[in-house]
Amino acid sequence: MVTPVIELSRIEKEYPGVKPLDSVDFAVRPGEIHALLGENGAGKSTLIRVMGGAIRPNGGSMAYLGKPVSWQSPKQARRAGIHVIHQELALFPELSVAENILVDAQPRNGLGLISGRARHARAAEILSQLGVKISTHAKIDELPLADQQMVEIAKALVGEVRLLVLDEPTAVISGHEVDLLFDNMRRLRSEGVGIVYVSHRLEEIFEIADRVTILKDGQVAGTGPVGDLTRDEMITKMVGRRLEQIYPARRKATATGPEILKVSNLRAGHRVRDVSISVRPGEVVGIAGMVGSGRTEVAEVIFGARDLDGGTIEFEGKRLDRRMPREAIRNGLGFLTENRKDEGLFLGLPISANVMAPDLAGVTRRGLIDRRGEREIALEQIRNFAVAAPSPEVKVGNLSGGNQQKVLFGRWSRIARKLLILDEPTRGVDIGAKVEIYRIVRNLAEQGVGILMISSELPEIIGLSDRIFVMSQGHVAGEIDGASATEEAIMDLAVRSIDRREGAAARLEQVA
Amino acid sequence: MAPLETPLPRSRGVSVASVFERYGLIVFLIVLLLVAAALSPTFLRPANLVNVLTIAAPLGMVVVGQTFVILVRGLDLSVASLMATVAVLATAFRATTNDAIPMIFVAAIAFSAVVGFVNGWLVAKRDVSPFLATLAMMIILQGVRFAYTGGAPISTLPPGMGFLASGRILGIPVNLMTLALLAIVFGVVLHRSRLGREIFMVGSNPKAAFLNGVAPDRVIIFCYVICSVCAGIGGLFLLGYVGTVSNWVGQGYELDSIVAAVMGGVALTGGRGNIFAALLGVAVLVIINNLVLLLGFPIEMQLIIKGIIIIGAAAFYRTRLA
Amino acid sequence: MSAVVAELRRNRLSLSYVIVAVLLILLVVAGGFLSDRFLTWRNFGNLFQQLVVLGMVSLGQTFVVLLGGIDLAVGSLVSASTVFIAHFLEWRPDLLWLALPLALVAATAIGALNGLLTIVLRVHPLIVTLGMSSIIFGGTLMYNKEPGGSVPRSLADFSYAKLWGIPVTAIVLVAIFALAGLWLQRSRSGRSIYFVGGDREAARLNGLPVNRIVVMAYALSGLCAGLAAIFLTARTGVGDPRIGTALTLQSITPVVVGGTILAGGRGGVLGTLLGVLLVTMLNNLLNFLNVSSYYQWVIQGLIIIIAVSIHTTRRRQ
Repeated sequence: MVTPVIELSRIEKEYPGVKPLDSVDFAVRPGEIHALLGENGAGKSTLIRVMGGAIRPNGGSMAYLGKPVSWQSPKQARRAGIHVIHQELALFPELSVAENILVDAQPRNGLGLISGRARHARAAEILSQLGVKISTHAKIDELPLADQQMVEIAKALVGEVRLLVLDEPTAVISGHEVDLLFDNMRRLRSEGVGIVYVSHRLEEIFEIADRVTILKDGQVAGTGPVGDLTRDEMITKMVGRRLEQIYPARRKATATGPEILKVSNLRAGHRVRDVSISVRPGEVVGIAGMVGSGRTEVAEVIFGARDLDGGTIEFEGKRLDRRMPREAIRNGLGFLTENRKDEGLFLGLPISANVMAPDLAGVTRRGLIDRRGEREIALEQIRNFAVAAPSPEVKVGNLSGGNQQKVLFGRWSRIARKLLILDEPTRGVDIGAKVEIYRIVRNLAEQGVGILMISSELPEIIGLSDRIFVMSQGHVAGEIDGASATEEAIMDLAVRSIDRREGAAARLEQVA
Repeated sequence: MAPLETPLPRSRGVSVASVFERYGLIVFLIVLLLVAAALSPTFLRPANLVNVLTIAAPLGMVVVGQTFVILVRGLDLSVASLMATVAVLATAFRATTNDAIPMIFVAAIAFSAVVGFVNGWLVAKRDVSPFLATLAMMIILQGVRFAYTGGAPISTLPPGMGFLASGRILGIPVNLMTLALLAIVFGVVLHRSRLGREIFMVGSNPKAAFLNGVAPDRVIIFCYVICSVCAGIGGLFLLGYVGTVSNWVGQGYELDSIVAAVMGGVALTGGRGNIFAALLGVAVLVIINNLVLLLGFPIEMQLIIKGIIIIGAAAFYRTRLA
Repeated sequence: MSAVVAELRRNRLSLSYVIVAVLLILLVVAGGFLSDRFLTWRNFGNLFQQLVVLGMVSLGQTFVVLLGGIDLAVGSLVSASTVFIAHFLEWRPDLLWLALPLALVAATAIGALNGLLTIVLRVHPLIVTLGMSSIIFGGTLMYNKEPGGSVPRSLADFSYAKLWGIPVTAIVLVAIFALAGLWLQRSRSGRSIYFVGGDREAARLNGLPVNRIVVMAYALSGLCAGLAAIFLTARTGVGDPRIGTALTLQSITPVVVGGTILAGGRGGVLGTLLGVLLVTMLNNLLNFLNVSSYYQWVIQGLIIIIAVSIHTTRRRQ
């Protein structure tokens, strides 16, 4: 039995209220590509950070190259030969490729000074090993994301690497770039490097990985050689769980009437390739898909916060031309964003200000804010949504995540009478608040509001949606009826590799 | 339930710290007044207090405006230069009666508004850092001003300017009344009007403000206009005080106004603060300066204390935010 | 085609330098046409004398701005240092070899203190250096309100010495700039300033000792202020507590004009040097053309705005 490059035993990690890792065993052998699979929030990122020294586990042990270790810092892990490439790349945008690659190991000449020439030479050497054509003089922020990722990978190859961890590397690349990546992975594998490959693209896992470990809710749901599991078995292990009875009963009749929102062939940036969606009044339409599939970007375009490159958006039959959030709000749209702290809440302002934020006109009399009116509305919303706060003057920064989210519902439910877009509405919210939020969503739908709900929690999407669009890589992979949807069916669509298939098909055409 | 990668924030309610935040400055000021009265019998004499207030008034006017700009994550370094330029411009009115005063005010406000608009436009639409944009404006105004005066101080003031600086209406100094008026008007705008609410939103979270239908650019430009208008009015009051108009009148006010605002709890990061507290900051600053003089300390001591205060105040507010 | 584009893109920062350099050349050419006294050796000699002090403080400011910060204490630090040097040497003119290093050490230490305060107190560098500026200024004034002190002959001579017609001080300045540029581009500690200025979080993630680097940059600014003070004291022969007041804001213009942006992470000393040359030469030429210094101010303000707009717009592309 070969000594694993890294072996984690019974790793535990806990935060107040959540336990991302629960007695996880994980081992990577030298010369092995080990896939790490799991839905959003299963614990993959946490596990990687433990391996890479960014966080310390609360329990369990780790052995590296046969010896017990406990990393004090990411730098220590890196020095030892573990290199983690996160989804958020740690590059310096204004500096050159060469400088980024050699950030830790700038080559010096005889005088002890850094030699620019040697730096570029060494960087070019590594890049050619990877088979990429990137100018070492280019600045990072000029490069497309795929190239930036290659630079990160090149960084890993500077020193001696024994364990390479790739966190969803193919989220931003496609086609032949993926082939290039895989070729390099195979080459490293043959050199004895252990590779952890985190991805949700099952086709890719079958193509490149030797073994696979599946995480679900912080525990290992299955592990073994890739050949031992079928696609369906993998999906089942990723998602199979009992649906808790926390969703309001579905209405018998589905919503009818003309579509309130019709998106056709939407194209925007590199994340949204070709998306067509529709929503009817009173209907809850869920959008499922993995992180990076373009869901949030679609929402931003609909709301007017992002430009579109192609396709059309029709609202109540009319094309939406003036693209600004202000217009959207005026038309009765609302957008509860994914990052409430960065994009939604005014943390230093009280609840009342946060609730009234998009509708200042509603409480303005002759230029002045009607404070009493505002307070009353805020109180009403606090009551309606059961926000646990002593008064509307409390600053929202002091509320818990669940209550903050409810304040946001209080904000949008008032004025988004036509269409409400929700992006991860229960992220960072405890189970009690979640149930309440589900009820809120259901109520709004019954009042005739169209709801477009983006979520990474499959039970949630299935429990609430009348229809579900599943997105993958900027396309709509499929549409499923809410009542009969299963987690497996959704996941099946979400992990489909659409572009690769197109690329492969194109190549086949060329050969033929 | 999706496990989180980062811990949830603890819910904090009303606490001792937030109470101190609201009333700490007032308490500090009261303590300061008591200490000052105890240390120096001259402090509470009416003549001294009037003196203090007269110095404080123009600075107070500037601070009212500066608060708006800081609230939207900006700075205005051009205020002092603008004050002096407005003062110089006022002397261009070769008037012989007090009737010129309203016209002078209008001209001052118009000029200041244009300056403020340019500042705001550079910051909002051209992405120039507020520091540099207002620094450049400061230098440009300086050049214009000196070119007009030829570098020499002007001693012929329009009649009535002296009245502004030291006159009284119904026993209340005019400059104080004007300050109060400005503070009330702009206080209402900031803390009670829709625009004021939008200002706080833009300063607190510009992206969220945009997503809630606010036009951040317009709001930002407006703040700079208000700041300049307040500074311009303040400049008129500095005019009559000394009897001549030097080219450097109001020097140092730009930094003092920032110091006073920071002491009053206006956060440089934007979205937090109120005018009343900023004016308290002015009071603290001016009283300390006055105390230093009354106690016979060298005037330079004022500078040292000012420096310590501003660092201390910023650190105090910062550590409590964390 | 993509190779050409890449080539152009690669030199984006160099393009900034090129623009400034071209302006400089235009200025020299225009100056030659407009005034016959402009292109003389003697004039340039004077010019270099003048720009030595501005150049030194701008260099110090460059380090700090590259980091994404700012140093508003520069002016008062220079003043304080001149007062220190002049009075020390008045007291003991024979201890020149001690006075100068002592002044440098003190100035560097104060600079380091500034950096330390921004980290420990977590206060914005603008506020920290503003406060320190006030404290230092007040302290200096308390010591001596008027210009005073004296310098020994040797130091004064240094200020006016010429080597092949070029002022020695200018040669020293250029040498220091060259050294600084080399250090920033070619040494690990120098490059680290770019990393921290570019993205402080990424720097931390990559294991860089961010705090140490911040303190170092501010310490260097202090050192440059000390050096500027030496040049200044040598030239004027006295220590003047107010002499540096205007220097603070003046030190920022060349940095910004030269392409180092206030957000940090981009730029360099070459740009600053070009900026210093541009600003000083422009003033010099305008003087020859009898343009009132007041209009020069207006022009300087406009230059700042234009320069920043150019560098910012091209960044946004």
